[in-house]
Amino acid sequence: MADKTNTIFRALDRKASAITEFTMRQYRTKISTWVVLITGLVVISLLMLFYVDAMQRDFEAIDNDGDSVDSDGDLYPDGQERLYGTNPFSELSHPGLFDPPVPPDDPEKWINEDDFDWDESPTGTRIVSVGYDDDGDCRTDSRTSSQKDTNDNGIECDIELSLTLTGEFRYDSDSFVDEDPDDEAYAKEALHRASILGIGKLGFVFIISIFIPLFMATGLIRDEMTSGTMHYMLTKPIARTEVFFYRVIGYLGIVWPYLIILTLISAIVTGFAGPGDSLFRFSEFGIWLAILFAAMMATLVYGMLFCFLGVMWRYGIILAIPFAAWELGMALLSMGVPESPILRFSVIGWALIIVDAASMIVWPDMTLLIYSGFSVETTDSLGFEREELIGTDPLQYFYATPGLGDMSPFLSMIIATVVLLIQAAALLFIGGALFKGKEIE
Amino acid sequence: MMPDFHQEGQAETQQWQPEQKAPVILLENVSKTYGKIHALTGITLALSGGVTGILGLNGAGKSTLFKILMGKLKPSSGQVRLFGTNPWKNPAPYSRVGFVPEGEKMYDWMTAHDFISTFARLNGLTRDEAKQEADRVLDFVGLLDVAHKQIGRFSKGMRQRTKIAHALVNDPELIILDEPLQGCDPLARTTIMNVIRELGRMGRTVIVSSHILTEIERITEQIVILHHGRLLALGNLHAIREKMDNIPHRIDIGCDSPKDLAKSVIDIDSVHGIIFQNPEALTVQTRNLGDFHSNLPSVIINGQHKVTSIDNPDDDLASILGYLTGGGGY
Repeated sequence: MADKTNTIFRALDRKASAITEFTMRQYRTKISTWVVLITGLVVISLLMLFYVDAMQRDFEAIDNDGDSVDSDGDLYPDGQERLYGTNPFSELSHPGLFDPPVPPDDPEKWINEDDFDWDESPTGTRIVSVGYDDDGDCRTDSRTSSQKDTNDNGIECDIELSLTLTGEFRYDSDSFVDEDPDDEAYAKEALHRASILGIGKLGFVFIISIFIPLFMATGLIRDEMTSGTMHYMLTKPIARTEVFFYRVIGYLGIVWPYLIILTLISAIVTGFAGPGDSLFRFSEFGIWLAILFAAMMATLVYGMLFCFLGVMWRYGIILAIPFAAWELGMALLSMGVPESPILRFSVIGWALIIVDAASMIVWPDMTLLIYSGFSVETTDSLGFEREELIGTDPLQYFYATPGLGDMSPFLSMIIATVVLLIQAAALLFIGGALFKGKEIE
Repeated sequence: MMPDFHQEGQAETQQWQPEQKAPVILLENVSKTYGKIHALTGITLALSGGVTGILGLNGAGKSTLFKILMGKLKPSSGQVRLFGTNPWKNPAPYSRVGFVPEGEKMYDWMTAHDFISTFARLNGLTRDEAKQEADRVLDFVGLLDVAHKQIGRFSKGMRQRTKIAHALVNDPELIILDEPLQGCDPLARTTIMNVIRELGRMGRTVIVSSHILTEIERITEQIVILHHGRLLALGNLHAIREKMDNIPHRIDIGCDSPKDLAKSVIDIDSVHGIIFQNPEALTVQTRNLGDFHSNLPSVIINGQHKVTSIDNPDDDLASILGYLTGGGGY
């Protein structure tokens, strides 16, 4: 066995590592490499700055249910009146008339007074009952049983969560339960997750993973052919497909460590700056790992593709531009309609499945979080339109479930990885064959 | 298509063996066209052993011929065999071939030693073996003392020698050099010529191209002349010269008194005309160059003439081509 290892090591010490090492050293001597890599770092740093800024902001506490208002002018906020069963719209009815009289509350008390309370999510066809009426305006004795159970599930003052047969999430709340959550806590959590997904999907898996190969991989073979230096490699007994493959490996030898560094920086920033009581959000290393993995896969496939385009045509980069536009369209589509079949004809559609699957695993409460944000969106009895919580919209935009149908996220991830590897292998095969039959001046 | 898992340098056809009796190079009726341009037309050539000079003006098709031999270009028609194997899409024979391309571009950021040892590993050498091999070939071309300097700081001659050293890795049996002397200073030229002659003495098959006759003449007598993509002549340079000796030649002689010299020179039988160009030179016309050159020294010594220069303007590639194509001069 020792002999075998020795042979493999010695074998790799020859052609493969020679070209790989050479390619990596060659990149290091080019200014363009540094310009591209530093630009990528600047882009990610800027996105991180926006993220940190959002996390440092103070979000205004919004009275989502409007009960801090004193509609009838009797100094008692509507919420307090509702709690005591007096008429919030009549000046002549308020808890001050009780015996003993109840002093009016500070209206501030009726802002963010009923935060979300849930500790589990529905799975399969199970229906769960969650939620707790913190401010007591549902549980109050002045209400009848049917008023307390507006969702008709037999449990008073709760929220019923269920999944339909098609996997759609249902959020059915009794009135006045969890209706005025803590906006700041919600916004920070939602924006934190939306930022990781947005930066991960568009920043890493799209911008970084397409532009770095565009500038770095297109010339891998083409530049050597146009400058005439290709002869130094190709007059040696080595198959051209091997040269193609080892050059791409050399390119990955630069790009993958770079991606690891960028991801690590981002993971550390979001880990420390993210909301929550803990110092560092360790649980989110999983999503960053998936983003890194998706970006590595994307840079592999794009690298092979652009290197191939460079071999095919001297001005192959011109073909790469419409392709990049197509991939952008697919990236945006995958966030809105992840199950669209057209996504299967792209690279990024598959790469983003990896991120989506991981976000499903890392954040099992994601759907609940999004629906909760929308749950406060109502029109109240006075005709005021209440908006969804801050952060809900971006979170819903960037979050998508893996679009491969109803299967475990792990399986989705494995299928996507296999497909991406097949894409890379196919491009290696075509690129190698094309290069093999290419005349070199 | 399969990668070479053993990485031993045999590339695709691991069991590749050169055909024992095949010539090193065999071209049969090879043509190469680019659209309507004929770069090479009907080249048939077989070479084995020794140093061969490929002579031709710029654009005669020398580089195209080499690239076809090296499997970089596909011939439009005809057969190419390198050690009996078709080199197109088959890098197997390259383990026995060294190629010096004509391009000026090199990896300027590498040291000569780096450059050679890195690419030597493509012959299936390990890192350590490649370093030893780089030392050996750099020593052979006389660059061992500057081996660890960057190629970018090398002179033209040193760059050419680095390229030759690169081609000599793995001790190939066939070495093809495309214009190795171009742009070199006289000292570098001599060094490179010595290297090429030494390779010939070692029994290697060496093919070297040039567009300057005197360069080739100093290296080898066996020449191939290419002209407008056609094979014009093949064989010993002396034999070609002998034939040329029997056609009118001009010789320019610079001296202090052309008229005195003319009186002496007229006695040489092969002289059939004298032209006075200017007060310090005369042009002699002869039908037999060899005869004239053998008689001229005694004439000069006997007449005690002061000769400043002897120039043979017809003794260049252009006039050979002119003669071979039947035109007057080029």
